[in-house]
Amino acid sequence: MRFVFDAAAVVAILFAAFMVLGKNAVRSVLSLVVAFFALAVCYVTLYAPLIAAIQVIVYAGAILVLFLFVLMLLNVPEEAMAGESRPIQHYLGGAAILVFTVGLIGAFSRSPSPPAPSRDLSGLAEIAPLARQLYSDYLLSFEALSVLLLAALVGAFALVQREKRR
Amino acid sequence: MIGSIPLSDVLLASAALFCVGLAGALLRRNAITIFLSIEVMMNAANLALLGYGAALGTREGQILVFFVIAIAAAEASVGLAIFVALFRHTETIDVNRINLLKW
Repeated sequence: MRFVFDAAAVVAILFAAFMVLGKNAVRSVLSLVVAFFALAVCYVTLYAPLIAAIQVIVYAGAILVLFLFVLMLLNVPEEAMAGESRPIQHYLGGAAILVFTVGLIGAFSRSPSPPAPSRDLSGLAEIAPLARQLYSDYLLSFEALSVLLLAALVGAFALVQREKRR
Repeated sequence: MIGSIPLSDVLLASAALFCVGLAGALLRRNAITIFLSIEVMMNAANLALLGYGAALGTREGQILVFFVIAIAAAEASVGLAIFVALFRHTETIDVNRINLLKW
């Protein structure tokens, strides 16, 4: 299990790096699809098969396809896309990333390890208890989320609508 | 430990993924790539949440990740709508040239 997790995590990080370094936006989106599939494998090894399925269906299937649609819809010319960053942005960005990376890895390596749960972990992968918890303890958040999605739908529609001629 | 996976592996993978996303968001000037980098950072947070949830033996991590993914979907739809409107207006998605609200 450890080998599977580590291999999938390395694949995810590599393809995320390809996404960041790639010059072609469509290629960036496609390499992120691979990274998200690898992350879904990680989620399965962490006893979360439902989240892995949602990751594939919603993230790789819906969100990234939406990105592809927008890229092809806009058909942005190459010179309007890339753009050179100013040197100061490089220096400040690089410094910020370095500080953050060191801080994050330091904080993670110092964080205390939680006590090992005594019971069998395979119960975590069951979907029925998860659904029961989601629809009872977290019902209000769940309903708020559906309102949020409706608001996002209406907002997206309003944003892309062309202005009417007066 | 989660099964045979040490929690430190999960946290290290999550930190590395987050830093890759941060690098993309800070160094690239293409709005679409910046947006994709933000998605990568969210996924890094999801990985840490699932790792801690499994290490503690609770389902709260999975429920939080469920909400994060749904909110990411809402955010992606609105964000891409903003890009479409912006591109119609300014003919570019280079964030250095989008400075309508600057100062």
